[in-house]
Amino acid sequence: MPPRSGLTPFSLPPRFLCPSVPRSFTRTIRTIQPTPRTRTDRFNHGAGLPILGASKTAAFLRKEAMLPLRTGALAIKKGMTAIYDPATAKRTACTVLQLDRCQVTGHKRRDAHGYWAVQIGCGTIEARNVSRAERGNSAAQGVPLKRHVAEFRVKDAAGLPELGSIVTADLFQEGQFVDARADSRGMGFAGGMKRWGWSGQPASHGNSLSHRVMGSSGASQGSGSRVHPGKRMAGRMGGEQQTVQCLKVLRVDKENGIVVVHGAVPGPKKGIVKLQDAIKKPWPQVELSVGVSKMGSTAEALESTI
Amino acid sequence: MSLSASVRPLACIKQAIRQCRIERQQTRRYAVPATEAEYPSLQTRYPPPTPGFRPSQAIKQNRFETGLKKIPVVPPPRSTTKACPDPISILTNKQISVLDPTGARTRLFSPANPERVQPGDILVVRLRTGDPVSGTVLNIRQRHQPIDTAILLRNQLTRVGVEVWFKVYSPNVEGIEVVQRAVKRARRAKLYYMRQPRHDVGSVEGVVKQYLRQRSGGPLGSREANTGRKTGSKKGRK
Repeated sequence: MPPRSGLTPFSLPPRFLCPSVPRSFTRTIRTIQPTPRTRTDRFNHGAGLPILGASKTAAFLRKEAMLPLRTGALAIKKGMTAIYDPATAKRTACTVLQLDRCQVTGHKRRDAHGYWAVQIGCGTIEARNVSRAERGNSAAQGVPLKRHVAEFRVKDAAGLPELGSIVTADLFQEGQFVDARADSRGMGFAGGMKRWGWSGQPASHGNSLSHRVMGSSGASQGSGSRVHPGKRMAGRMGGEQQTVQCLKVLRVDKENGIVVVHGAVPGPKKGIVKLQDAIKKPWPQVELSVGVSKMGSTAEALESTI
Repeated sequence: MSLSASVRPLACIKQAIRQCRIERQQTRRYAVPATEAEYPSLQTRYPPPTPGFRPSQAIKQNRFETGLKKIPVVPPPRSTTKACPDPISILTNKQISVLDPTGARTRLFSPANPERVQPGDILVVRLRTGDPVSGTVLNIRQRHQPIDTAILLRNQLTRVGVEVWFKVYSPNVEGIEVVQRAVKRARRAKLYYMRQPRHDVGSVEGVVKQYLRQRSGGPLGSREANTGRKTGSKKGRK
């Protein structure tokens, strides 16, 4: 064992050499109180320095250019049909969506929440089926109770409509492009062929009981004798949000809340679809107030009940 | 029992007496009410509910907090789904009114019309973009939207079987004429058996030519008689 070096009473020099050193040896506990630790950051950032790439601020600024200027809308998928162009005789498959009592129920602000977003609710729900906390929240905002609520990111504060204003179908113009996102149909537990589109294995030529199996899940020693993360296998398929980009708006009917978009939209009928300006097309050249108004809002009715 | 009764007549009496005893016991049991001493657990602890009491309502009433401050609820605005429960039919009807302003084509395929086109009929379809196509109707496809109604015509061109689908409301289709009704109503909705050589009617060219010749006066491409009703009246005349 090496000789111990440390401050023990016997290793001190004599008192006349260092009189300030206390000679009494008392055993103490360190402390139960948490020591105030100074947070040391490994990264070099500050007021005058450039923003670090991995920070939240940098992430926000990166996305800012792609964020739509206006809010979107929540629509109900009604089903598919076709539209003929009488001039060219071209038949276009389309999906019919309907907006129902789509209303601005909240704002997300950059200073308070870290991003700009419009909270939109649609439908309605009976008060007795809503928790007291949620009822209190919507009463504080002065908006009706909503069955479905979703957020739409916008670029800046100019894209936040007034609370309680109703989003109508004329938010979208005929001919503009939108992105539609919705929860796809749930397929349940699906095999690899259905879930990932594999071709499977031959039906004959000596194949035995492995027509639809996944086959090998990876190499042996070469890849570390393990299954790599993200290996495609059987499992739950569908029931997750899918986005279809750049769908053309074919028809808009403000009175009936109808928006007709080109092609298919994920999810079953009666599903809720989020519609917003397509991020891969130029923004529509319209005022920010188009399609969002307080007209028809029932917020005044709250005042009368209080 | 009947066998034993016939063999031993007294046994029957014995059986009857036994039955009587059991029945008497039964009636006695029903007549006497359950006394408190016997079944204390059956005694009601609370007064019985008043007439008109509905348990489902009682549960709903309890759900709302009585002692707490009432939270006001903003009434919902006007609903578009209630105002317009079926937007797809609005969209398709608007289109059909443009594509088929007279309603002749709708009538030609309407199930309510006894003179409608049925499988087995021979039709001529006039096209905007080419020669008219004729053939026997093998199938009428009525999807959930009337705008997607389509017909499958089968004919023979140069001794080769040809089948063509036509969307009834397509702007390419200028007119649909019934050349010949089926002699007997087909007992199937889809006459795919006519693809088999032994059932194939072959080319309908002769029938169509004769029909076109019989149509008095008008040139071959006349637009007047492109509705089923007019054709039907013509057929009635000859």
